[in-house]
Amino acid sequence: MVFSIRFLALPFLLCSSVWAQTVITVAAFPSVDEVVRAALPAWQKKHPNVQVKVVSREFADHHTAMTTALSASSGLPDVMTIEYGYLGRFAQSGGLEDLAQPPYAVRQHQARFVAYAWAQAQHDSFGQIALPTDIGPGAMFYRVDTLQKAGVKPEQLSADWESFLGAGKQIKDKAGVFLVAHARDVKDLVIRAGVQAGEGIYYDAQGQSLVGSAARFKRGFELAKRVRDAGLDAKVNAWSNEWGESLKRGNVTVQMMGAWLGGHLQNWLAPQSAGQWRSGPLPEGVATSWGGTFYAIPKKSAQKALAWDLIEHLTLNKAQQQLAFERFNAFPALLEGQAGAYFEQPVAYFGGQKARVLWRDTAQKIKPSRVFRNDPIAEEIVNAELDLVLTKGKSIDAALADAHRLVQRRAQR
Amino acid sequence: MTQQASESKATLGPVGWLFLVLGGLAMLAPFYAMFVFSTHERSDIFRVPPPLWFGEHFLDNIAILMDRIPFWINLGWSLYVGIISTALTLLFCSMAGFAFAAYEFRLKKPLFGLVMATMLIPSFLGMIPSFMIMDLLAWIDQPRALYLPAAAPAMGIFLMRQYIESAIPRELLEAARMDGCSELGIYGRIVVPLLGPAFGTLGLITFIASWNNFIGPLIVMRSVEMYTFPLALRSVQSPVDTQWGALMAGSVVAVLPLLVIFIFSSRRLIAGLTAGAVKS
Amino acid sequence: MSQRLTAQAWAPYVLVAPFVILFLVFGLFPIGFSFVLMFQSWDPVQGVSSMKYVGLENLSFALEDPLVWVSLQNTLWLAVASGLPQHLVAIPLAYLINERLGSWRNAAMGVYFLPYITSTVAIAIMFGSLFSTDYGAVNALLQSMAQWPVLSALLPAGNVDWMGQPGTIKPVVALVVFWRYVGFNTILYVAAMQSIPRDLYEAARLDGASGWRVFWHITLPQLKPMMYFGVTLSVIGGLQLFEEPFILTGGKGGIEYAGMTTAMYMYRTAFEYGDFGLASAISWLLFAVILVLTLVTNRAFRVKGG
Repeated sequence: MVFSIRFLALPFLLCSSVWAQTVITVAAFPSVDEVVRAALPAWQKKHPNVQVKVVSREFADHHTAMTTALSASSGLPDVMTIEYGYLGRFAQSGGLEDLAQPPYAVRQHQARFVAYAWAQAQHDSFGQIALPTDIGPGAMFYRVDTLQKAGVKPEQLSADWESFLGAGKQIKDKAGVFLVAHARDVKDLVIRAGVQAGEGIYYDAQGQSLVGSAARFKRGFELAKRVRDAGLDAKVNAWSNEWGESLKRGNVTVQMMGAWLGGHLQNWLAPQSAGQWRSGPLPEGVATSWGGTFYAIPKKSAQKALAWDLIEHLTLNKAQQQLAFERFNAFPALLEGQAGAYFEQPVAYFGGQKARVLWRDTAQKIKPSRVFRNDPIAEEIVNAELDLVLTKGKSIDAALADAHRLVQRRAQR
Repeated sequence: MTQQASESKATLGPVGWLFLVLGGLAMLAPFYAMFVFSTHERSDIFRVPPPLWFGEHFLDNIAILMDRIPFWINLGWSLYVGIISTALTLLFCSMAGFAFAAYEFRLKKPLFGLVMATMLIPSFLGMIPSFMIMDLLAWIDQPRALYLPAAAPAMGIFLMRQYIESAIPRELLEAARMDGCSELGIYGRIVVPLLGPAFGTLGLITFIASWNNFIGPLIVMRSVEMYTFPLALRSVQSPVDTQWGALMAGSVVAVLPLLVIFIFSSRRLIAGLTAGAVKS
Repeated sequence: MSQRLTAQAWAPYVLVAPFVILFLVFGLFPIGFSFVLMFQSWDPVQGVSSMKYVGLENLSFALEDPLVWVSLQNTLWLAVASGLPQHLVAIPLAYLINERLGSWRNAAMGVYFLPYITSTVAIAIMFGSLFSTDYGAVNALLQSMAQWPVLSALLPAGNVDWMGQPGTIKPVVALVVFWRYVGFNTILYVAAMQSIPRDLYEAARLDGASGWRVFWHITLPQLKPMMYFGVTLSVIGGLQLFEEPFILTGGKGGIEYAGMTTAMYMYRTAFEYGDFGLASAISWLLFAVILVLTLVTNRAFRVKGG
C-alpha cells in the first residue's frame, strides 16, 4: 500500500525535477541486449524521463562481471540478466530480490509462464529470485532429403532409441553420412529423461550424486557407445568450424538442440539447404530444455521500482515477447506469447512445416529439474568419463563408478 | 664504428632465404586470414576450408559493428590508455631498472626479489580484490584505473635491468659523476638516450599488452562508452550467434594501430644510436 | 664529497619509488587476499562476508585432485615443448636478421612479429580449420604426401584426428604457442644484438673468423643477459600458459584433459565452478612450481659465468 503510494508519487517527483533524469542500468549479453534495446522505445513512451543504459558484455564476461559485482556488493545493475547455466550459483548469492514478495508480488502471474522455467528460478531459501524471459525447448532437426535417400521414415527417428539407432545404420549404409554430430548428444538427452520431482540431473534432493545409481546414466552411456561403435557420429563438437561445415554439407543428419537453433540454421549455419530441414519431437518423447534467460533485480539497486517495471514490460507483455521471438529467435517464456499468427505460420525453411507449434508443445511437456551449484562440474566429469568409454574402451561400469565418486567428492565441498 | 656501416646490403645465402621466406609465410597466414575473413559474410567464414581470398562484405561488417558499439569512442579510449600506459611504463621501468643495474644498496636484493616474485603470480585471482580497490578509490569507470596500477610492471623492470647491465658501461657513469653530474642527471642525460632499443622493445610490448587487455576494463568499466576496443569487440560475441564477419573486421581495425606502433618502434629498435661512439 | 655519497645512497630509492608505491597500493592487497583465500571456502556471488575458514582443506583437496596433477604434467610438457624451440630458433633467426638482411631487417621483423598481434579469435578459427580432421589442410597435405614412396612408410594412412586425441592435442598447442611467440623473442634478441659493440666483430673479421665462429664466440656470450631475461620469461609464461590451450580446446581442455594447463584449470575452478578457495590453492601450488623453476634458471645462468 505504502509502496504503491510512493510509486504514484514518482511521476510528480520526476516532473518537478526534470533536469535530474533517472538512469537505470540493464546488464546483458548478446543477443538479449538487442531484445532489451528493441523493447525500449515502447517502454520509454511511458517513462520519458528515464534513461536506460544497456551494458552489453560477452556471455562469459558478463557473468564474470556480475560475479565480481555481487562479491563486492558494488557496481550492480538495476536489471541483471542471468542465463540458465549460472542460475544455480546466482540464486544462492542472497543478493537478488525475492520477486514473490511485495511490491513485486509476482506469484499472481505464475500461471502465465511456462511451468518449468518458472520453477527453475525458484530457490528454497531466497524465493523467486528471477523471472524467465526466453526458453529453449528441445527439438530434433533432421535432413529430410537424407532420410528419403536412406529410406528412413521420420517416425523411426522419434519412436524410441532403438529405432533411432536403426535409422542411423540405414542412413550410414545407404546415404553414407553420419547420424549425429557426437555420441555425447545422445547421452545428454537420455540422462535428462526420467528426472524425478525435486531432483536435479546429477544430484538428488539432498545434494548427493545420482550418477552411480540412476539407471538413465547407464543407459545413456550404453547408447552413446553403440552410436560410436557403429560409426554413426561425426565426432565433431558443437559450435566448432567442423560442426558448422558438417551441417552445411549435410554430413550430419540429425541435430538435437534448443528450438532456437532453427533460426540459426536458417540465418547463417545452413542457409542454402532451405527446405531440406525438418523439425521433429525428440526420441521417446523426451522433453528437455537448452538454456533459457532470466531477469533479476539486485538487492542493492537504487531503482527497483523502475527496474521491476521494465522487467514486467519485457516478460509479461505479449507484444514484446513475440517481437523478441520474431526478430531475435528468443522463444517466449510467457504462455500468451506463444499464441498467435506467427506461431501458426508455416515456416518456409522447414518446407512449410508448422515447426513453432511443435516447439510450443514440447515446451508444455518439460518438467522442471532442480538446478544445483555443482551442475557444471558434474557435467564435465560425466563427459570426461564418457570420452574414456568412447575412445579408450573403458568399461561403462568403471566409468560410471569413477564419475560417481568424483561428482560426490565435489558435492561435499 | 656504428651499426650503420653494415646497414644496407643483404648477404644471405639461398638456403637462409628459403627458411626465412617459408617461416615468414607461416607467420603471415592467420594474419592474412583475419583480413580475408573480415571481408566475408558470417555464413561463409564458418566453414572448412575457410575462404582464402577477399570477399566484398567488409563495409557491411563494419556497419554491423558500428551499429552495436560506439566504435570510435572505444578506439579512442584504447589509444589514450595505451599511450599513457606506455609512457609511464617506459619511465618507471627504466628508473627502477637503472637502480638495480647500476647501484648497490641495502634493500637491493629483497626489492629485486619482490620484482621477480610479482611476475610469478597468475593474475585471475587478483581480479576481485583489484575491483575492491578500484571501488574504494572511486576509480570505477575511469581510465586511470587501467593505466596506473600496471605502470611499473616487473617484466619491464627486469628487461631494463638486463639491457642496462649489458649496454651501458660503468666507466661512463663514473665519468659523468666525476664531471659533477647529479645522480638523477646521469639517469636523464646519460642513460636514457642510450636506451633506444630497449625503449623500442618495451614500448611495443607495453602498448600491445595495454591494447589487448580486456580483463582490466571488464571489471572497471560500467558503460559501453567507456570500454576499450577489445572489450567492445568481445561484447559483440554471442554464445551462439556471433557476427563473425563483423568480429573479424573489428579485429582488423584493432590490429592496424599495433602495426603502426610496430613500424614506429622498430626504427628505434634498429637505430643503434650513439652506442658506437661510447664503446671505443 | 659526503654529499656525493649520500646522493648516491638515496638515488636508487628514489628511482625504485614508483614501483614500490604502485606495488603497495595495487599489488599487495590482491596478493594478500589471494593468499588468505587459499584457506577459505568462498563463492564470490555470496559476498565477502560469506567466506568460511577451512584451514588446509583446499590444499589437501588440490593435492589429491587427479586433475591438478594432470594439468601440471601438461603444463610442464607444454612449457618445454613450446619454450625451448622458441629460443633455439629465435637466436639464430635474430642473428640472421640483424647481420645479414640489411634494410630488409625491419620488414622481416615485422612479419615474424605478426602472430603476436593477431587476434586470438582469428587464430582459433584458422588453426581449428587447418587441423580439422576431415576438412583440414594439414591432413590434406599429409594425405597427398603419403602417396610418395619413402614417406608412405612414415606417414599415417588415414586422417589424423589432431584435436580429438590426447596424443596429438599437446603438439598442436605447443606448435601454436611456438608460432605465436618466436617472433617476440626474435625482436628481443635483435634489440640485444644492437648493443653489441661493432669493434668486437671488426676484430674478429680481421682475425679471419667465419660467420659461425663469430656467432658462437662473440654474439652468444654478449647475449647472456638478454637470454636470461628471455628464458625466464618463457619459463614463467610457459608455466602460466592459458590463452592458447583455452581457445584451441574450446575452453574445456580436450579429450582426457590433455590440453588443460594448470592456469586453465584454476580459471575454470574459479569462474565456472565458483570455488575460489580451491582455485587460490591451485594458483599458489603453481606459484611454488614456477618459483622453483625460476630459481633453477637463475642458477643455470649464474653458473655459466653470467
